[in-house]
Amino acid sequence: MKKLLLLTVLSILFVLGACSSQEKADLVVTSFTDELQEPINKFEELHDVNVDLQIIPTENYTTTLRPALESGEGAPDVFTGEIVYLKDWIEQDYWANLSTDPYNVDAWEDDYMDYVWDLGKNSAGEVRAVSWQTTPGGIYYRRSIAEEVLGTDDPDEVGEMFSTMDGLMDVGEKMKEHNYRLFPDEGSIQPYTNGQDPQPWVNENNELVMTEARLSYFDYAKELRDKQYTALAPAWSPAWYESFVGPISYNVGWDELDEDAEDADKTEVFAVSLPTWGLNSVLKEEAEETSGDWAVTNGPTPYFQGGTWIGMYKDSENKDLAWEFIQMLVHDEEFLTEWVTETTGDVLSYLPVTTKISEDFSEEYLGGQNHYKFFLEEAQKIDASTITKYDQQIGELFGTEVGNYVEGNVTKEEALEEFYNQVENAFPEVTVPE
Amino acid sequence: MAKNNRRAYLFIAPFVIVFLIFNIYPIFLTFYYSLTNYSGMGGIANAEFVGISNYVRLVTDTYFYEAFLNTIQIWGFNFVVQMLIALGLALLFSDIRLKLRGVSIFRALFYLPNIITIASVALLFNILLDWNHGALNQMLLSLGLIDSPINWLNSPAYAQSAVALIGAWMWFGNSFIILLAGISGISRDYYEAALIDGANWWKSFTNITLPQLKPILLYVLITSIIGGLQLFDLPMLLTDTRGAPQGSLNTMVLYLYNQAFRYNNFGYGATLAYGLFIITVIFSAITFRTMYRREVR
Repeated sequence: MKKLLLLTVLSILFVLGACSSQEKADLVVTSFTDELQEPINKFEELHDVNVDLQIIPTENYTTTLRPALESGEGAPDVFTGEIVYLKDWIEQDYWANLSTDPYNVDAWEDDYMDYVWDLGKNSAGEVRAVSWQTTPGGIYYRRSIAEEVLGTDDPDEVGEMFSTMDGLMDVGEKMKEHNYRLFPDEGSIQPYTNGQDPQPWVNENNELVMTEARLSYFDYAKELRDKQYTALAPAWSPAWYESFVGPISYNVGWDELDEDAEDADKTEVFAVSLPTWGLNSVLKEEAEETSGDWAVTNGPTPYFQGGTWIGMYKDSENKDLAWEFIQMLVHDEEFLTEWVTETTGDVLSYLPVTTKISEDFSEEYLGGQNHYKFFLEEAQKIDASTITKYDQQIGELFGTEVGNYVEGNVTKEEALEEFYNQVENAFPEVTVPE
Repeated sequence: MAKNNRRAYLFIAPFVIVFLIFNIYPIFLTFYYSLTNYSGMGGIANAEFVGISNYVRLVTDTYFYEAFLNTIQIWGFNFVVQMLIALGLALLFSDIRLKLRGVSIFRALFYLPNIITIASVALLFNILLDWNHGALNQMLLSLGLIDSPINWLNSPAYAQSAVALIGAWMWFGNSFIILLAGISGISRDYYEAALIDGANWWKSFTNITLPQLKPILLYVLITSIIGGLQLFDLPMLLTDTRGAPQGSLNTMVLYLYNQAFRYNNFGYGATLAYGLFIITVIFSAITFRTMYRREVR
């Protein structure tokens, strides 16, 4: 009996010993991409420390990290958050309050793009997270096709044509005449459906806000489909990626398709709505072949999509080092200049650097265009006050129902009713119209 | 004797401790969650106690009933197809008159789809079933079987059938192996006697094979029901992760997942888990009763 007990105890000790024998890092950073690896390498060099970057894939990020933040067990020192749940997280006691001593980040406010700064602030006005980037969106288009069909590939002139929804439809018609499609799918116009007078999805009385501009998304999306301005390649599908490289199969089987035309079952996509990061992580990654043939310009309204904020865990034991790291990442002119110009090309929200580099930026992939300046101007137009924690989920539910209407599965009224039901079901605290 | 007992407790202790911590404790905690409006954030202590209101919502929730029906429909279709294929193949390979060779090779081949991860299967079929660019439509079009491409994953009926058939494709090999083993276990004497009495193939199938195979069929049925009620990964990954088209792939577990982890309704998610638990208990009770009755007879 005693021997058995001894054996058990020994084996438990052995297992425990094996677990804790790993070398302990000086700082643990958790994020959902590897984009912080570069800054971390630099930081390790500068401070002679050992930083452990833990990457949790986006789809598991909240479910994996949140329990750790809730309980404090296994929480990292520094962690990032996406716009999708940022508004939820800054209201929780996860990130440390950076507005207090010794950080006093409020003094930095003027150095940042307004909406980026405002989104890191919770309802009590405390800054919980900051960001180095800004992620406004635009419409990327193929220069060669623009030249052929519209007679110009100049971003300003094309932007002028794109500046209203009806303008977009006109370009769509011209594209179709030359067997091109304006967009890969109808979802490409969703960013512009907040209209010229953007309203939050849920107002301060917890009511769902439906506007004329939003309702018009049904009609414009239907028009895009019915008039065959899209290539029927849904966002993030293999066909969607393919459409940035060259012609894709387009076999709708409609009677009016000319059987004799050689390329009747092929079509090429002209443009796509993507934010700043779409350039690096979508186009450059997936469409090397068309490098140099792209340009970016405005759509009917400004918008932004995505974005990563960073802060430190409120109970971190390495706050000093964590703070050093965050400062370097978001507020170090030298580092940020180098990082942006030499590696990422990310559009920064830190104005001292952006004003310096935006004047003579030139992007080879975009045919030498200074997209940096364009995106900075777009970012200035974004108003953080209409952004709510519901935006992502409600936007997706809305997009799905518009899709059902476009496919002809349901009528507009049915789609709208189902949308309201879905919102009520997902967010019982929100009251829906009618 | 007493000493031996104590030692036995020591041996079962690891299991009991793990079971208490990782099974029993969460079961009770989940029940407590289901009585609150916990959002998964800010600690359970700060959540509001709402009594049985989540359960009231559950019994009036049309999305839950829809999810239940979806699950049953997909599982039912999948089971019928899977069993027809598996049983047909098992009969073919066990037929004493045909004496087919290479059973072990086919057994391995049929089982192959089952070892592919569901994520890969979902991605694969997503590409194959793509409306305009998918291989299936391209093939049907060039064969002239259809005039215009069918938007498989946009039609509730097709999408549910797709999930059911993919499931059948993945699992028929598994059922085939079990049924083949069951059929091999039936004594040849019965068949020989039947042959002498002039029974044809159909007569020996319905009067010998099927009755003798009943316990095995029940086993396959029960394991399939338990797995089927938990259907989650394929419907989630095949479309938009929320059960599109038109909620037809919204299964019970997918609905639970989205309520708890997408919309942060942890309390209601816990209630859905209990709803699912009750349904599973009812289904298990029915099948166990059926099995018990057979044994008595």
